[in-house]
Amino acid sequence: MSNNSSVMGAGSPLSEEVLAPAKTKGRFGAFIRKFCKQRMALVATCFIILLFLVGIFGPFLTPYNPDEPNYDALMTGPSAAHWAGTDEYGRDILSRLMDGTRLTLAVSLSAVMIAAVFGTIFGLLSGYYGGWLDRLIMRGSDVLFSFPDLLLAIGIVAILGPGLSNVVIAVAVFGTPSFARIIRSVTLSAKETLFVEAARSMGAKNRRIIWRHIFPETISSIIVNVSMKIGGAILAAASLSFLGMGAKTTEPDWGAMLSMGRDYLSIAPHIVYFPGIAIFLTVLAFNLVGDGLRDALDPKTKN
Amino acid sequence: MKAKGKVWSMFMLLLITVVVAAGCGKADNNGGTSNTGGNAAGNTEGTSTATKDNKDIVIAINANFITLDPHNASDTHSISGGRTMYEGLMGFDENMQITPVLAASHTISEDGLVYTFTLQENVKFHDGTDFNAEAVKVNIARIQDEKNNLRLRKSFAKVAKVETPDAKTVVFTLSEPYNAFLNKVAMAGMISPKALQESGADIAKKPVGTGPFKLKEWVQGDRLVVVKNENYWQQGLPKVDSVTFKPVPENGSRIAMLKTGEADFIYPMPTEQVSEVEGQEGIAIETIDSTIVRYVTLNTMKKPYDDVKVRQAINYAINKEAYIKVVKSGLGAKLDSTMSSKTQYYSQQTGYDYDVAKAKALLAEAGYPDGFEAEIWGENDSETIKGMQFIQQQLALVGIKLEVKSMEGGTLSDQINSAKTPEEAKIQMWYVSWSPSSGDADGATRGLFSSEMFPPAGSNTAYYKNDNVDKWIADANKSIDPEEAKGIYANIQKTIWEEAPWAFMGVDQIISGKRTYLEGVKVYPDGSINILNAEVK
Amino acid sequence: MGRYALQRLLGVIPLLFVVSVLVFMFIHLIPGDPARLIAGKDATLEEIQGIQEQLGLNLPLWKQYINYMGDLLSGNLGNSIRSGMPVTDMLESRVMPTLWLTFLSMGWALVIGLLIGVISAVYRNKWPDYAGTLTAISGMSIPGFWLGLVLIQIFSVELGWFPTGGVDSWKSYILPSITLGAGIMSMLARYSRSSMLETMREDYIRTGRAKGLREYVVIGRHALRNSLIQVVTVAGLQFGFLLGGSVMVETVFSIPGLGRLLVDSILFRDYTVIQALLLMFATQFILINLIVDLLYGVLNPKIRYSS
Repeated sequence: MSNNSSVMGAGSPLSEEVLAPAKTKGRFGAFIRKFCKQRMALVATCFIILLFLVGIFGPFLTPYNPDEPNYDALMTGPSAAHWAGTDEYGRDILSRLMDGTRLTLAVSLSAVMIAAVFGTIFGLLSGYYGGWLDRLIMRGSDVLFSFPDLLLAIGIVAILGPGLSNVVIAVAVFGTPSFARIIRSVTLSAKETLFVEAARSMGAKNRRIIWRHIFPETISSIIVNVSMKIGGAILAAASLSFLGMGAKTTEPDWGAMLSMGRDYLSIAPHIVYFPGIAIFLTVLAFNLVGDGLRDALDPKTKN
Repeated sequence: MKAKGKVWSMFMLLLITVVVAAGCGKADNNGGTSNTGGNAAGNTEGTSTATKDNKDIVIAINANFITLDPHNASDTHSISGGRTMYEGLMGFDENMQITPVLAASHTISEDGLVYTFTLQENVKFHDGTDFNAEAVKVNIARIQDEKNNLRLRKSFAKVAKVETPDAKTVVFTLSEPYNAFLNKVAMAGMISPKALQESGADIAKKPVGTGPFKLKEWVQGDRLVVVKNENYWQQGLPKVDSVTFKPVPENGSRIAMLKTGEADFIYPMPTEQVSEVEGQEGIAIETIDSTIVRYVTLNTMKKPYDDVKVRQAINYAINKEAYIKVVKSGLGAKLDSTMSSKTQYYSQQTGYDYDVAKAKALLAEAGYPDGFEAEIWGENDSETIKGMQFIQQQLALVGIKLEVKSMEGGTLSDQINSAKTPEEAKIQMWYVSWSPSSGDADGATRGLFSSEMFPPAGSNTAYYKNDNVDKWIADANKSIDPEEAKGIYANIQKTIWEEAPWAFMGVDQIISGKRTYLEGVKVYPDGSINILNAEVK
Repeated sequence: MGRYALQRLLGVIPLLFVVSVLVFMFIHLIPGDPARLIAGKDATLEEIQGIQEQLGLNLPLWKQYINYMGDLLSGNLGNSIRSGMPVTDMLESRVMPTLWLTFLSMGWALVIGLLIGVISAVYRNKWPDYAGTLTAISGMSIPGFWLGLVLIQIFSVELGWFPTGGVDSWKSYILPSITLGAGIMSMLARYSRSSMLETMREDYIRTGRAKGLREYVVIGRHALRNSLIQVVTVAGLQFGFLLGGSVMVETVFSIPGLGRLLVDSILFRDYTVIQALLLMFATQFILINLIVDLLYGVLNPKIRYSS
């Protein structure tokens, strides 16, 4: 890499990256160093750490009981007593947001993790082996795909019944095929690279090639996707709530708060405003972290 | 460089927050000013639409029309749509009382078996053919034909024969007395026999009736446009040239259409936003009591609801005033009987005022001093969920820990009706609403309280069984004297009220919003829309 | 290449068959009895059984499947269970609004998304990159139904620029397509950025630079062309999503399209309509996928198709 740097113009947009010192003190060190250069990602990481802290300790920190109604203080705007105002039952919105952080994160994270694991396995197998296995997996994902996302989710929730785990399954199922397809397309490209061909010609076993040579190539895609899908999963769960098929309407899930509050948008906008901001910032943060991770983890910059 | 980058990223995060805040802040302003009588939003549209210079009106409703076949419609909107073009021998007025329409007069025989209708003269169908006794006969034959399997068939099951002694007289003979028969007659719009023959099954798409409006176009899922029937038999009507119905399912969007003047009339007007548009220039809100009752059925054959004390305790534990304030935004009434005050033979009951101490005492007497755990079912629309959440909060105060299970309509119906016997039933509590489709007391009682109507045969999900009530329901149905029927229904209501197979919640209000220049569009207590007298002023 | 295309095209047929079976099973797995839902709450048991018989819902499932396939193969989609109208009529009036919405959304999303992606990649870690990334990410972080409602509030109610919904003029489509396209735009922007960055690191790009080619030639002719492969994948996949997944937008903006028809049909277990719609979506999707796969070959000569 440093060989090329001499021919680059100093003003080239890529100069910063290309001129970056290539000395490595172990993979992890390099990763940390690179990641720390992504300032937006760093800020976002702090935000997510904060979110997880709230998720873990939130229920003990809430200023009010999140489920305690107060019919004499319905839909009051933000004030010193209620920083984010109260909702249509007079419950403290800030407390509900804090209490609901855990639920919101748990649903989206578990759904995306399930989708990532299955999607990656299918994508790698399909892309690497090709042939009938590829056709089987890809046609399978086509079939899943050919049902529009939300419909699939609606169907799954309708068949399995409402409930937290069923929403997780629904969101995971429609996340899986897109993972598989994208991992497959990366695998296809990676398979053609010189070092994979070299490894193959040296008689390396398929499993080893997949695991040691192709899988690392897919990591950046997996990470970009996971980051993107976490946000997407939060939004998908909210959409299910919008259609009345959400996880638990009585619990302070952010999506449920948003969709249940939407009838009040024009009279008490803070009811939708704060859950909306919470969702917005969280999705934003996960995406920024994904971007940062992506650049820091890229296997090609390690050589 | 490094510091600069950090500042940048912080700034960007801030910027996004501000952008979102600006979007919301705008909505906030709007809500705030309109409440204090200003017209921040009124300014933009007020000039262009405070008056209307044509006679074409737009009505936004919350769901699609399913069919325009007046004999086969089961949902309120399809019934409304059909009634713009069709009329029956009888009809309903705005208090759900039966009034003559195509029948000028009618007589009922002493034994309640023979109904004789004298028809209006000089009435023509939209296709120019005459409306006469023969046409009535054809229509009733169509309804009764098993092959057609029309929704209205069961309403006319007791009609033994239809005779037409002359062109303007129709005689119905019933196999047994049927108290609600006129209500059923009012549901049957008269279709042109000629059109019936020509269109066959397509009649649902190409209505030809005697009504004040004729079909212009019906685009499934988008709009239904009806135009003035120039030859309408009632002089001077209708007063508008055309009416366009648009299905707009999202509440916020429907309100927006009213505000911008894209719609002249909207129904239903979401209760949450009434306070916002009320008093806004150019917009008027109309409310009337409905026949729609909301309640929670308690499975009287299941523990602990088999104990009347538990059921009464639940009724005492729920604050109905707060229910109306929180769930209905203050627009509604307490349910003080098994039916709404707008339903035939309603009789007011008293008791079950909010009393937590009494509820706890009753629970203790029944052997549940610390309450119990229970499950409530309901559909998954936001209004129902809101209600169930409220009930959950209220019952928590007397120790009943309620789990809210909201299900999609089809799933819920399956859950309820898959139990073939009361013993198999899993249902505990069900938060639901009911409205008798033709405003009659039988429709508001039999399906809900007769022991023949346990699911899957009917909607008696409380599995309520009282031999007296069963007998009274049958008696009332055969009674031909209105006073006698009234007495019987009063007994029924009193008995059921005391035995509390339901938690009695509320009666909905019918709320519609309109532009002030529009007069005469009425929503009836059953939720159907009547446009006969619509007028632009 | 030609042989591969033909092979794939033939592969569509068994796939469609599998889909038709799955679709049939899928809808019958959903609990709920259409007869009961049509008949209404106050229907009698006899009435419900009458409807079941009339619609053939009382037959064993395999018989129902045979009937359905028989109709399908003779090109008959049947009548809606709920309204009794021919399904083809219902689809006909709903196709155009959804297609318009889809194409408009995809159109602007693709243009803006690619633009943002390329600018972000070229000016990596400079302010245009930050601005672009944030614009993109904002778009995908806002729940669609919420964005739609806010847009109506601002642009229809307060400013009066656009209608609140419907399909009466081209103006009606502006707000819905912004709402629907926002998420896709973001996705495309991010994908094009990342794949641009990836390709710009490839040997032949460096070679190009080393040969002294101008930067815009390197980026425009080589990097962009090669990063299109990922973007095309994503766009193709999202196309299917847009076609079917516009439920939310169609609801908020009261557009009488296929998405809303589908949700309404599911609510009433209108089997014939659901079947027809799902098959239609499936066919569309499979064809789009085929095209995407074939475009791979055109855009990236490095991929070999082995049969």
